[in-house]
Amino acid sequence: MHIDVKREVTGSASGRFGMAALGVIVILAVFAPFIAGYDPTAQTPFALEPPSRAHLLGTNHVGQDVWSQLVYGARVSLLVGFSVACLSTLLSALLGSSAALIGGLYDKVVMRVVDAFITVPAIFIMILVAAYLGSSLWVLVILLSLLGWQAGARIVRAQALSLKEENHVLAARCFGAGNRYLILRHILPDLGPILLVEFIFSMRRAIFMQAGLAFIGIGDPGTVSWGMMMNEAREFIFLNAWLWWLLPAGLILSLTIVAITFIGHSLEPAMDPRLGGEVVA
Amino acid sequence: MLSKTSLVAYVIAFLLILLLTFLLPRLMPGDPLMAIYGDEALVQMSPQLKAELVERFSLDQSLLNQFGAFVSELFQGHLGYSYYFNEPVFDVIMGRLPWTLLLVGLSLILSTLLGIVLGIESGWRRGRRPDRTLLAGIMSLNGFPDFFIGLLLLVIFGVTLGVLPLAGALTPYSGYTGVALFLDVLKHLVLPVTALILAHLAGTYLLTRNTMITVLRAPYMLTARAKGLSQASQRYQHAGRNSMLPVLTQTGLWLGRVVTGALFVEIVFSYPGLGYLTYEAILYRDYPVLQGVLLIVALCVLAANFLVDLLYPKLDPRVRYAH
Repeated sequence: MHIDVKREVTGSASGRFGMAALGVIVILAVFAPFIAGYDPTAQTPFALEPPSRAHLLGTNHVGQDVWSQLVYGARVSLLVGFSVACLSTLLSALLGSSAALIGGLYDKVVMRVVDAFITVPAIFIMILVAAYLGSSLWVLVILLSLLGWQAGARIVRAQALSLKEENHVLAARCFGAGNRYLILRHILPDLGPILLVEFIFSMRRAIFMQAGLAFIGIGDPGTVSWGMMMNEAREFIFLNAWLWWLLPAGLILSLTIVAITFIGHSLEPAMDPRLGGEVVA
Repeated sequence: MLSKTSLVAYVIAFLLILLLTFLLPRLMPGDPLMAIYGDEALVQMSPQLKAELVERFSLDQSLLNQFGAFVSELFQGHLGYSYYFNEPVFDVIMGRLPWTLLLVGLSLILSTLLGIVLGIESGWRRGRRPDRTLLAGIMSLNGFPDFFIGLLLLVIFGVTLGVLPLAGALTPYSGYTGVALFLDVLKHLVLPVTALILAHLAGTYLLTRNTMITVLRAPYMLTARAKGLSQASQRYQHAGRNSMLPVLTQTGLWLGRVVTGALFVEIVFSYPGLGYLTYEAILYRDYPVLQGVLLIVALCVLAANFLVDLLYPKLDPRVRYAH
């Protein structure tokens, strides 16, 4: 399967919107120290101040600048999203394609593990494991990756099974190519588009899960994240503070997730020709 | 389709969860009893109780024997004792489970129905204005995390407008009975259920819409038109019914997501189900409760998936002949 990713994404309005919005978040994350203006963890005596020229979005209950927290929060979300997407897509690709090529008992074992993990809600496992192992950023990344590769592996396997029967793969096998060579040189390159979509959706899920976990108080208390901001702001919904504290944090998190979703969906018509010729708003 | 493989998958899933809850505390450095119960609980325990627990879980023996003891305790319904709630974990969970079942069941049914209807209507009008608006709207909604939707609903309808209750599942000490009680429960359900429906509509909707688009090209749709069937009959009895099948196979997967959603939404609305219980257990480091909830949730989700597998051939006769 060969698709022109750039054309598919920029060809639809929603794809362009997604790229633009994600671009803004990436800029916030990369240039955070220049954009923020304050140290997001610095506590000041000026608590719960409404927005002003000095504090664009006011301050929170311990006098931290909300705008700076919002800007630095982009770093955590993107870092977690990107790392988890890399790791879990790698796992999906390796386990899915090797299961398809090797087959037999190995295939059965991998697929049963996939089935097993797909049904059980990962969040409860995460909570239990985090309760024991702590919840530093890297523990979260590894946990999210270990619990996130299964659905992708199933899709990769299905695709690899059909690729396996293609003539160029059969030809390579006739010339004596081993499984490792076949996976690296013939299967993985052709899986590109599928892996890209898998990458996008695991990034989306990781950002969502990290925010959710931080929202229920699981996460490194030293790093400022959008989920943690919402968790803190939740106590103050009876004050007007939610307008410039809770709302921006929730909106920027939603914007990030929507942007990633739109990019992913703009690739879908190309992945599934049956939906082709469709006008996606 | 109830095949042997899916049954095996369920058994493996449950074994993996069992193994995880068993190994995690025991592989932690230090006293396993402390890891299982948490250090605060341990301070309150008498030495006799400690000795009894070591004996009961065979903590002084090999890992294999410990696992045997762990499983046999489980099958007798002993999930441990919660020091925070001062009750056996099993009783704590059973007290909360009905609320979660009510919340999850109601939202799953409503969001699936709504998603199927909207998906059918949208797919039927593919590419036209109503379809495009609905698609863009629902896809954006899909990006809003359930806890954020919940918080927004809470702030708008609970705090600002003050028309719906802020927290809980019942008005405490109201002494309502009969119809009044029913209405009270319903009033407390409105916001959490709405939050869950809004957050989980997209999956059903997108899948139904996509299948609808493929189904509309099938030859039997042309036949239906040629026979002069009414639009509604074509749309629902012919195209719609066939577009529902993939949705039902997916219900199992979505159940997991709705349960996750319920966790967050329950926390936002302090709804006294398993999700809120999990939150309390995290706050008070009540490890036995966390383990118990994980086991029970896994068991419920697997059982529901099993049911879907059983029901599926009834809805799609083709599956019965396929094997």
